[in-house]
Amino acid sequence: MKRIGLALLVLGVSGQAYATGLMSCENDRDDWRTKDELETKITAEGWKVRKVKVDEGCYEVYGTTPEGQRVEAYFDPVTLEKLLVARRGEILFRKDDKEE
Amino acid sequence: MTLGKGILWLVLALPSVPMTIGYAGGSADAESLLHPTGEFAARWMIIAMLISPLRLMFPDTRWLKWMGVHRRAFGVAAFVYALVHLLLYVVDMGSLQLMLDEFFALGIWTGWAAFAIFIPLAITSNEQSLRALGARWKRLHRWVYPAAVLTLVHWMFVHNNFGPALVHFVPLGLLEIYRITRVRREKT
Repeated sequence: MKRIGLALLVLGVSGQAYATGLMSCENDRDDWRTKDELETKITAEGWKVRKVKVDEGCYEVYGTTPEGQRVEAYFDPVTLEKLLVARRGEILFRKDDKEE
Repeated sequence: MTLGKGILWLVLALPSVPMTIGYAGGSADAESLLHPTGEFAARWMIIAMLISPLRLMFPDTRWLKWMGVHRRAFGVAAFVYALVHLLLYVVDMGSLQLMLDEFFALGIWTGWAAFAIFIPLAITSNEQSLRALGARWKRLHRWVYPAAVLTLVHWMFVHNNFGPALVHFVPLGLLEIYRITRVRREKT
């Protein structure tokens, strides 16, 4: 009985676990816009920004989306384009590469 | 309370000192303390769980025997840090709706579930419960194993960062494998 419970737990967890992978950006350091520029831009779009840091070459923003979701979001430091939005590891938005 | 036990409680409380000073002084907010409180909750739980397999490996080591006698203190400390961790989460989120919105994220519901398991374990971590429950006490406290799995998943997925969580849990996993294989071998 316990084993079945544990097996179900493992199954449930691994079913949800596929959606991982952090965002990374490759850019020349000289091209970078400043954190303030990013903050100004997305604040105008309705974001609330708590913290901006650099992660894997991207700007990682801790904040609230215009829709009121508390998220971590990745932005391209050169184009300031939104690349990925995640809430507690759950991907809410990922820029579709095919659109390019 | 013996001197040893007093010192142990001081050691268990020690990591909370810089956190409390930071929070009271305003240099650390709820969000920045989420990580250290959660990490120490997991650490004390893992240490409590390491004692049995280590004693099996090194049966005559005195400090391990001592740790075994005081194992419950590690478990209670884990619960207290987990409780503060959860309270800081609630304070940081500041809204029931925001918490409900993300409840079903893998990194979140696993944390809630682990904490739900910790509650009865913490409540029964005293002499009276131990005596009152008898053999059932051990069965109840084995729930720490699913709680540990949930904690591991919570830690790995809340920021999709597997490294730190695995560093903490892999030694426990290896020791448990050692224990299981050894107990199996001795049975046959």
